[in-house]
Amino acid sequence: MRRRDFLGTAVVSAAATVAGPAFLRRAYAANPIKIGIPTVLSGGNAQYGIQAKRACELFAKDMKGKDVLGRPIEFVYEDTASDPATAVRKAQKLVERDGVKFLTGVVLSSEALAISAKCPEWKIIFMSTINGAGALTAKSYNRYFFRMNTSGPMGARAVSLYLAESPMKRLFALGSDYAWGRDSVASFSSQIEKVKKEVVGREFPPVGTKDFASYIAKIRQSKAEGVYLVLVGQDASIFLRQAHEFGVTRETKPIMEILELENMKAVGDAMEGAIGSSRYPFTLDTPRNREFVKRFHDFHGVYPDMFDGETYEGLEWLVQVIQKAGTADDVEKVIAAWEDSSYEGLEGTFFMRKCDHQAVQPGFAVQAVKDPKYPHLVPKVLATYPGEKVTPKCRTEEFD
Amino acid sequence: MANLVEQGLNALALAGLLFLISAGLSLVFGILRVVNFAHGVFYMLGAYLGFTVVAVTGWFWPALVVVPPLVALVGGLLEASTLRFIYRRPPIYQLLLTFGLALILEESIRVVWGATAKGVDPPLLLQGSLQLGDLIYPRYRLFLVVLGLAVGAGVWLCLQKTRVGLVIRAVAQNSEMADCLGADVARVRTLVFAAACGLAGLGGVAAAPMTTAYLGMGIGVIVDAFVVVVIGGLGSIPGSMAGSLIVGAAQTWGAFYIPETAMVIIYAVMGAILIFRPWGLFGEEE
Repeated sequence: MRRRDFLGTAVVSAAATVAGPAFLRRAYAANPIKIGIPTVLSGGNAQYGIQAKRACELFAKDMKGKDVLGRPIEFVYEDTASDPATAVRKAQKLVERDGVKFLTGVVLSSEALAISAKCPEWKIIFMSTINGAGALTAKSYNRYFFRMNTSGPMGARAVSLYLAESPMKRLFALGSDYAWGRDSVASFSSQIEKVKKEVVGREFPPVGTKDFASYIAKIRQSKAEGVYLVLVGQDASIFLRQAHEFGVTRETKPIMEILELENMKAVGDAMEGAIGSSRYPFTLDTPRNREFVKRFHDFHGVYPDMFDGETYEGLEWLVQVIQKAGTADDVEKVIAAWEDSSYEGLEGTFFMRKCDHQAVQPGFAVQAVKDPKYPHLVPKVLATYPGEKVTPKCRTEEFD
Repeated sequence: MANLVEQGLNALALAGLLFLISAGLSLVFGILRVVNFAHGVFYMLGAYLGFTVVAVTGWFWPALVVVPPLVALVGGLLEASTLRFIYRRPPIYQLLLTFGLALILEESIRVVWGATAKGVDPPLLLQGSLQLGDLIYPRYRLFLVVLGLAVGAGVWLCLQKTRVGLVIRAVAQNSEMADCLGADVARVRTLVFAAACGLAGLGGVAAAPMTTAYLGMGIGVIVDAFVVVVIGGLGSIPGSMAGSLIVGAAQTWGAFYIPETAMVIIYAVMGAILIFRPWGLFGEEE
């Protein structure tokens, strides 16, 4: 980075000595709006950081030649290696050294909580496009944090609404043993019990479990008709494969809080029929989305997963807000322009609530199905719920 | 009853897998006196190479044969080009080096195969499950039990009954003396390191159908392998076997009967061993 900055300065100074007035225009145009991406680019969670990066790369390409307030958009990437302390350090570097006013693309909720807590001090905007922990817009809310994505409790809500109408009565809940897994299982249990269904067992395997045999045996003994899964990406893939091996998925349907393309690719046909919520199902049949999926596939050679789609939408929205505010430097004005504003995304209409900065947006229940058009299983939308039904009450993780 | 048998088989299958990984770790420590942090990454490399071989040939069995020698080759080359030069330095150098190698290898794997997890299907013969009375059990897991036992017996026989094994044991006991008696210690070290990596690679291939090949699988498994080796005794093959059984049983039974404390159990066992028998169940007091 340093070398490039140095070269850049050298080129600009050289240009300045050759052509005076041209230099002024140049310097103005070369003052980009920088967006910092402190994301996970190495280690086990890199698949998610790479989704954020892919979305940014496509967005940068789409914005080529289209300046925002006369300035180009520039992304600065940093690797947080899944560690909250490193994430804060990298975010601080982006803010202090690179002068970014906007951060996004953070992968883990633990990292997001750590960075969000620093934003009032740094006076910069942090837009979540991935982070699920309900607390971010509830207990840990601050006005510099905006969540445009569907949160964990919102995903659990969409699944619960779908299950309320299904004939399944007995359900088992399996969640990764940390905040997200435990919160979601609790939220799911209370919602599902309200509609007179029974949670017949709850287990919390540690993150990184490679052998789920013991849990699978328990699920079988419980004679549940469905198992609600809140497992981090890799653990979900492993569980689904092993459950299929044991033949459990024949009697007990997997129901996932987030049904990711990544899982469908890694698990393959063993996952066919699994249902769950999706924050962004790329198969959504709207003209805008069809066109986006085509552009994405042409550029990256793969279909967009949930965080690809939501990160791209977030960036579009952010640029729209900057334009509306008429500034990319006065953070307070950008915040004011964003609050209570709406945006036409790929999935439908988004509305940024002023009270807790959680975007109200449609929720989806989807199923993993085979489709001859695609080389792997894809999410098929079973039901779409309007934003007001899937968004929790202000600054809470609860629903009416 | 069926439940008890099932839990027993689960413990054995996990133990089989753990043994494939920890045997190499234990050997490397016994002979090279190096705690190899990169060992888990060789396991991961095995899984990814296994994925590629299965994808190219469409068969699982060739992967089981081809991949371990490939991983062994990578391991041997790395030992000969890096570790060899720092055996005489304090152990911290070797720790740092193997840790660095682990990071480099892991990121290289990401660059080559991408960040998405890779699913590997078991061979047709081992797909689905077997009905044994009341018990339904996946065939592939039974295969893991057999594989773990076979490899354990093979390694033990090789160490106890062959000339190569004799030299290896001699180097393990006193490398300077073995050197004086004409054993090519440098070569023995390279070979042992390569063989240990090959075993880890075999473990990776065998694990892939059960766990998929994914980034970070090496880091996750190395912790378990260390626990196995500490319990069983550093440098002892029967110790690795016993340790694998104990850890496999503690993890599967713990998760089944007392899930809230499952994580703690194996560390409690390890702690107890460290207090009462610090050299491990089968290790030798130094």
